[in-house]
Amino acid sequence: MRKNIGAEGRTTMNKGDKFTLILNKIRGKEGNIIPVLRTIPLFEGLAFRDLKKIELIAHERTFMPDEVVFQERQPGTGMYFIKKGLIELTKTINDEKVKIAELGEGEFFGEMALIENYPRSAQATAVVKTEVLGIFRPDFFDLIDRNPRLGSKILLKLSERLTNRLRKTTEMKLKEIE
Amino acid sequence: MEASELQKLWKTFEIIAIGFVLFGMLLVLYLIRGLLAPFIIAFVITFCLSPVVDYMEGEGINRTLAVILLILLTVIILLILWRLTWPTIQTEIGNFQKNAPHYARKIQDGLTQGMKLLEKKTGFVPEGVLQSAVQKRIDHLTSGMGDISFLTKTVAHFVVTLVLIPVIVFFFLKDGRRIKKVLITYVPNKYFETFLTLFHEIGQQISGYIRGQLADSFFVGVLAIIGLYWFGINYSILIGAVAGIVNVVPYVGPLLGLTFGGLLVLIDTGSIVDVVQVVGVLAFVKALDDFAITPLILSRSVKVHPLMVMILISFGGTIHGIWGMLLAVPLYCTMKVSFRILYKGFVEYGKW
Repeated sequence: MRKNIGAEGRTTMNKGDKFTLILNKIRGKEGNIIPVLRTIPLFEGLAFRDLKKIELIAHERTFMPDEVVFQERQPGTGMYFIKKGLIELTKTINDEKVKIAELGEGEFFGEMALIENYPRSAQATAVVKTEVLGIFRPDFFDLIDRNPRLGSKILLKLSERLTNRLRKTTEMKLKEIE
Repeated sequence: MEASELQKLWKTFEIIAIGFVLFGMLLVLYLIRGLLAPFIIAFVITFCLSPVVDYMEGEGINRTLAVILLILLTVIILLILWRLTWPTIQTEIGNFQKNAPHYARKIQDGLTQGMKLLEKKTGFVPEGVLQSAVQKRIDHLTSGMGDISFLTKTVAHFVVTLVLIPVIVFFFLKDGRRIKKVLITYVPNKYFETFLTLFHEIGQQISGYIRGQLADSFFVGVLAIIGLYWFGINYSILIGAVAGIVNVVPYVGPLLGLTFGGLLVLIDTGSIVDVVQVVGVLAFVKALDDFAITPLILSRSVKVHPLMVMILISFGGTIHGIWGMLLAVPLYCTMKVSFRILYKGFVEYGKW
């Protein structure tokens, strides 16, 4: 919070700061989940009130090095956001584990499982001690049921991401054909 | 020792540990069973009111405010209903109190006569044995009623429960999801997704069942009271309310309601016409409920075969009386869902 140092050396607050302080007291502390949620593109532009609702369905989990977050073919139930650490995505091809991606802080994975009940297409393993935020389908669908307006905002963002991905895949395919 | 053997040993230890934790939880629940009643009632009320709070929250009202408003509204509605029906209830209670000794004597005489007849017909039971056994049983039942300390204890317990329930409901409605979130934090990473799905599915099954049964019982009770009142039957509110309440227990409940209503009217007036009217009204309400109301209310609820329901209820009743009968079906649904999800994990995915 911005503070003004007065002529006498005392710390004073302007009216705006006081208002923010009172508002923060009324609406409660942000804790350590909401600041992370703010950085996730899926929840971009959502009001504090809506983020509070998402906070209730976001589960904080910590994985130790080499601990598996989810296995390949396991029924997927949700997506994970990396708060801190590193996650490796691998796929078994011809009985051999092939690394397909490495994701770091601020990135997320498994978002398809938020929409449909489909087996995981890859295995996710923590490379180092990793803190993640997980949001899972049963809670997410409940949230949409309870707050259709908020649900439509999130689903719109998710659709944007999926559309972008589809566009990229199409472009890649077209390039391959050319 | 090899790594695979160590892993096997660890897995066995894990299963034993989970078993111990579950056993410990059951033991704690058993030890505090006396305190559970207000929590179970609050739990049921929470399941009924939560869709309304969710709707209000969806409309932009703060959840805490929504909970306070809803509890206030429920209390006001209950008070209005109480005020409207109190004179009739008071008359019925007064009449019942006045006639209770007469009814008790009639039942006692009837039972003694029946036993006497049975002793005579069978021949091998010495005369007076069954009669004295019935007499002892009735004396035992009625002895506690006049006991002041027993009454004081019951009234005190009732008042405490009455105060506790709205408080528990408030916190369950306001912080229910937070409580669930905290509870699930303790599940190891490996089982987290499975447990979350399990929690959710069990919640859906139980809430569907409770909401369905309560709404169904409410309709049965109200329709029975209206029908009985229409025919001018004495104790119409009492009989209708009992029919509604016992309707919570599937299949067995309606029969109990019918028996209670028929017997009460028979003892009260002795008129067969009145008994036929009561039985007719209750049977008609039950038929209406089965064909028109139940399919509407329970369509989204649990699907359990009627034969299975009857087996479960008799099993529950044998083990733990009325609570056993009430909890048998939801417990069965919980186990069924758990088994389905865990089995799915084993078969489709290969490991849990």
